[in-house]
Amino acid sequence: MMEELDLLKKDWKKSENSFQQISEVDIYKMIHKKSSSIVKWILIISILEVLLWTAISVFYNSDDYLIKTHNEYLIKYFKYLTYFNYGIIALFIYMFYKNYKSISTITSTKQLMKDILKTRKTVQYYVWYNLGMMAISMVIGFVLVFSVDPKLHQLISKSNALLLMILFCVVCIALFVGLFWLFYRLIYGILLKRLHRNYSELKKIDL
Amino acid sequence: MSENLEQSFVKQLRENQNIIHKICRLYTSDGDAHKDLFQEITIQLWKAFPKFRGDAKFSTWAYRVALNTAITLYRKSTRSISTVEYEKHSFFISQEEYNSEEEDQLKLMYQAVHQLNDIEKALIFMYLEDKDYTEIAETLGISEVNARVKMNRIKGKLKKILNP
Repeated sequence: MMEELDLLKKDWKKSENSFQQISEVDIYKMIHKKSSSIVKWILIISILEVLLWTAISVFYNSDDYLIKTHNEYLIKYFKYLTYFNYGIIALFIYMFYKNYKSISTITSTKQLMKDILKTRKTVQYYVWYNLGMMAISMVIGFVLVFSVDPKLHQLISKSNALLLMILFCVVCIALFVGLFWLFYRLIYGILLKRLHRNYSELKKIDL
Repeated sequence: MSENLEQSFVKQLRENQNIIHKICRLYTSDGDAHKDLFQEITIQLWKAFPKFRGDAKFSTWAYRVALNTAITLYRKSTRSISTVEYEKHSFFISQEEYNSEEEDQLKLMYQAVHQLNDIEKALIFMYLEDKDYTEIAETLGISEVNARVKMNRIKGKLKKILNP
């Protein structure tokens, strides 16, 4: 075997000068082309995700609903929640920026992979946070609707109907989460499959 | 200033371009992909160049960025992206000076190396480039002892591919 490897090494060294050389002019052209690296894709998708979720959480306004249902006293609390939300968004964007900036091609391969996955995770946490907030709002919404509306109140006093309602909510939420999960699997599965594979291969070496 | 930087980069890259060609040869299997990866590595090197300090050798620094790009950042694409056109070249084994038995063996060796996974290719690449285990370990971010162990396993794996 050693013989064969030596033969390979010999040929490897010999073929060193067999490559068609690229001129300085072509190198100039290349450095002005756009990168198509996965880091760039992650950045683009992340920015879109953040914009989408920030838009949803900023433009979603529950005030009208609260006034309509005569729960004006709750507006104050929702306002605090909104400020809290802005704080979280700012904190998140700062974290994302910091992690993104730490991605560097001059660190070790393992560290580079770690940094990319960390940046990716930040966005994931942000999406989970937003999903969580949405779920909480939904629960609060349901509770409000049932406690305020006398007809519904009457309805849920029948035990069967209550069970059905709960079942309906659970199915709704499960469908929603399921769709998200699928979406994530698709996008990041395609984008990060190779990275995950190589990262676990590297980790395995040091086990 | 930035023009000077560009000039110095282009010059050094042209002189050291065989490093990149060799990595492309290992990680791609056709001329278009070779060009594509070469271009992406060039872009990543240029992006990292402002952080390059003169106290290290350009080639040593370039090894790391190029390998990282090939293993981690590069996205194999089926779409035709616009690459800078340059003459196609043959990057297959040079034919002269070998007897046919050696030639056959070499062909098999190259095929076997191409079957290795991305990390294993990186190790074999650094072995072929006569890098020591300290540098191999540092580049990949693994321990030196484990780099040695892994290298022996890869040699075993190659043996198995060659003599099934």
